[in-house]
Amino acid sequence: MATSLPSVAIPGQRLGSVAAYAAGPGTHIQQANIYASIAGPVVVDPAPPKTQSKSTLRVSRVIPAPSRGTLSGTSQKPRYNTLPAIDSIVLARVTRVQKRQATVSILVVLDESAANSDPSKSASDNDNVASILTSAANPENHSNTDELRFQALIRKEDVRAVEKDRVVMDEMFRVGDIVRGSVISLGDQSFYYLTTARNDLGVVMARSDAGNMMFPASWKEMRDPVTGVGEPRKVARPF
Amino acid sequence: MATPTASAVPAAPPSLSLPPSQFARLQPHAYLLAHLSPPPASNQPSIRANGRAPAQFRVTSANSGSLTHTNGSAVVRVGDTTAVCGVRAEILHTDDIASWSVSQASSGNTHKRRRLGDLGGKPTEESDDTYADAQDDEDRAHIQDLNLLVPNLSLSTGCAPGFTPGAPPSSLAQSLSHQILSLLHTSRLVRADDLRIWYQPPNLGREDLERHNEDEAMDVDAGPGAAGLSKPREIKAFWVLYIDVMIISLAGNPFDAAWASVLAALRDTKLPKAWWDIDNETILCSDDVSQARKLSLRGFPIASSFCVFDADAAAAYRAVVIPKADEPKRRGFKQTWILADPDGYEEGLSQERACLVVDKESNGQGKTVIVKMEKHGGWIIDTEDLRQLVSMSAQRWDEMKQILEQC
Amino acid sequence: MNDRRRVNGPPGGTRPPVFQSGLQSSNPSDRPRRQRQPAELRKIFLKTGLIPSASGSAYLEFEPSASLAANRSNPKSMIPPSSALKLTCTVHGPKPLPRSAAYSPNLVLTTHVKYAPFAARRRKGHVRDSSERDLGVHLETALRGAIIAERWPKSGLDITITILEAEDDRWWGEPPDSHDASWGIMNVLAGCITAASAAIADARIDCLDLVAGGVAAITEDVGASHSGSGRLMLDTDPAEHASILSACVVAYMPARDEITELWLKGDSSKAVLDDGDSRQGHDALIDGAVDAARGSYSVLSEAVKESILNAVAHA
Repeated sequence: MATSLPSVAIPGQRLGSVAAYAAGPGTHIQQANIYASIAGPVVVDPAPPKTQSKSTLRVSRVIPAPSRGTLSGTSQKPRYNTLPAIDSIVLARVTRVQKRQATVSILVVLDESAANSDPSKSASDNDNVASILTSAANPENHSNTDELRFQALIRKEDVRAVEKDRVVMDEMFRVGDIVRGSVISLGDQSFYYLTTARNDLGVVMARSDAGNMMFPASWKEMRDPVTGVGEPRKVARPF
Repeated sequence: MATPTASAVPAAPPSLSLPPSQFARLQPHAYLLAHLSPPPASNQPSIRANGRAPAQFRVTSANSGSLTHTNGSAVVRVGDTTAVCGVRAEILHTDDIASWSVSQASSGNTHKRRRLGDLGGKPTEESDDTYADAQDDEDRAHIQDLNLLVPNLSLSTGCAPGFTPGAPPSSLAQSLSHQILSLLHTSRLVRADDLRIWYQPPNLGREDLERHNEDEAMDVDAGPGAAGLSKPREIKAFWVLYIDVMIISLAGNPFDAAWASVLAALRDTKLPKAWWDIDNETILCSDDVSQARKLSLRGFPIASSFCVFDADAAAAYRAVVIPKADEPKRRGFKQTWILADPDGYEEGLSQERACLVVDKESNGQGKTVIVKMEKHGGWIIDTEDLRQLVSMSAQRWDEMKQILEQC
Repeated sequence: MNDRRRVNGPPGGTRPPVFQSGLQSSNPSDRPRRQRQPAELRKIFLKTGLIPSASGSAYLEFEPSASLAANRSNPKSMIPPSSALKLTCTVHGPKPLPRSAAYSPNLVLTTHVKYAPFAARRRKGHVRDSSERDLGVHLETALRGAIIAERWPKSGLDITITILEAEDDRWWGEPPDSHDASWGIMNVLAGCITAASAAIADARIDCLDLVAGGVAAITEDVGASHSGSGRLMLDTDPAEHASILSACVVAYMPARDEITELWLKGDSSKAVLDDGDSRQGHDALIDGAVDAARGSYSVLSEAVKESILNAVAHA
């Protein structure tokens, strides 16, 4: 049965029986058969050895991209359709800082698969340079772009793991900072909830008051390389 | 002080290494800058994030006449920006014009006569200045005052995220529609004469002759024989051209593509032969293609747009006064780039824009004529740059003329 | 009413040109004739992914009828004999729902169909009219049954269709007061469904199956010996038929043999099918429309497969 698997599938195409495989992402089950629900390459993930479970059949959303040297090459399209899910790692821009919370706008949802492999080799849905270039790059003055992005909140108690009660939001984030966070809840109708309470989470990019890119100086300070002035932040540990 | 170092942002931000796509999204400005200013040691030319040289336009293609229900149509693709233009001609009866008077109707007649006596064909305006001036006023009076050209551009086509379909035209769509309208007017592309539908009232005294001449006299482009008749000809109606541009795909610089599609569609436009039918008291048209006429357009204006990318991202925040003249020009250090035909990403990263519309005399052999020059949003482009932009636009003109003539 | 956000034409309004040949009663023999077999479909051109700024897109075009093709290659009349559907579809999303929207555990689908002003024989207005809204609703029903909405919580999907050239509702030579339904809209809907399904697949939104549109109609021959005798035709071009008794459009998912949308117009109850067909009128119509949908499905599945194979090859 495994031999009859197609290399690519289109929605509604029968892939195999539930007796032989478990249904993975990009598929659905109908009458004891696994069908593709998106168009893409068919992938079989072998079950971990020594377990009784079956191999998982899935249809990949990602076109395998062995090399990505040129930018002007193939005209692939943007995919905004990686939704933030619980435990997703996201990169977001701070849009508002209040006493009890910071509002951020999610720019990139990092693929889970990308997190444990070399990030430069993975090609997630967000990884289409050619596509990003077709749409406006949102400098802060484009008001309507934030409406196209998923919004999230970082509550005061989710900023860091230690000394939670001494957190002052103004000393953690500034508007315009890029923050790496992890989704803890899908939240209400308008916001996701993020946490930065881990060493590898927090501000990854920030500009100083003088307008220069700063570098991380410690877990709670970033510094302007030109003026030498330090500014407080909840800094993510650099790689 | 901060200025020179801001440009020294390395290809990757110092804190962490990101794949290019994330870098492009998170730090668009630094991303583009890193492409435009490669490390001097590498000896590489400055290249844009989309792989083009700063002065390079996107690949352009055009196709005309494929829409069934239009008098003329064209599709123009400039890179990933696509504009579809359809021209529909409808009739405006002079009876329906509130301000219309008989004097207006026949005022055009003198020029018409002169023209016919002049050469017996279409005169080239350059040959007769006084004639051209008179015709100018008349064209303006008719085309502009009577709204004979009606361009509308729509972005509510799903062409890009952020334009809600069904909503009233966005401010960008409104501004583009008006830019096209004003360029149609100032370039005097369409001749009012092509849009007039004339009527020669029969001279009852000389009925036999009249019968004989009937066909000719009713024609818009009446032969010289019509000039000999005693009753003045009058305008009974005008053609109104509805020029609708649908931006099907938007990836930056919609104006160049939209204007090119308008030009190509107007070049494709055919108007049926039309006459005043005295029995039905209305304008009738012939559906015979061989009797239909193409528009005789004035010139071949081509639009080229540019944007300015400034290495200093924060310049806009700091700049509060117009720089002094003695301030050293930063272009010397290659801190700004003028990018031709910007894509959506580059448009989002630049404040200063320039748009030039140029034409070339004598079908490309003569000198370059600037039809429109517009620049706003900054003060980086100076006179010398503008001179350069004109020559770039003139080069683009050659390229576009070839593409549009072959479509 | 003056719309200040658009460039308006002359305030007194304008009239579409009146052709002299249209004044005389038109000759029925000038009507374009169907050159295809009753069950033969027009060729469909379908391509996905032409609009890079959208998450998914498709362009669909029907093959011009024989008469239209002839008038194009050798133009004689300014009046086109018939027209051929051309449309683009874009999919944007999944994206956040507007702030004002209530929480939804599912993907919220929005469909929008708009004719270009130059799409039809009569100039269309800039604001959506009732038939365009109607098309949007039918399209939404057709797609909602195919999308697996629970995989995309609290997000929205916008599907926008721009019709560049529509189908004729009837032959142009028909007297303007003829009380005929607007049949062309059904072909337009079928095209919208097929194109939208391709665009959704291009956007990698989970679906149970591709969903294809198909049209069938019962037509009456002008010279028929007895009235009420009809013939079942697939993919009817309304310009080619003097009398359409009833027509049906379906959205059909072949893998599951399911219909997600069905729209039947006209009276099919009295129609007696010839050729010894004993089926009821509406049964025959639905079967015919499903057959037509199967035909467009083959184009649809090829287009979707081709785009994915191209993407793999280019990667």
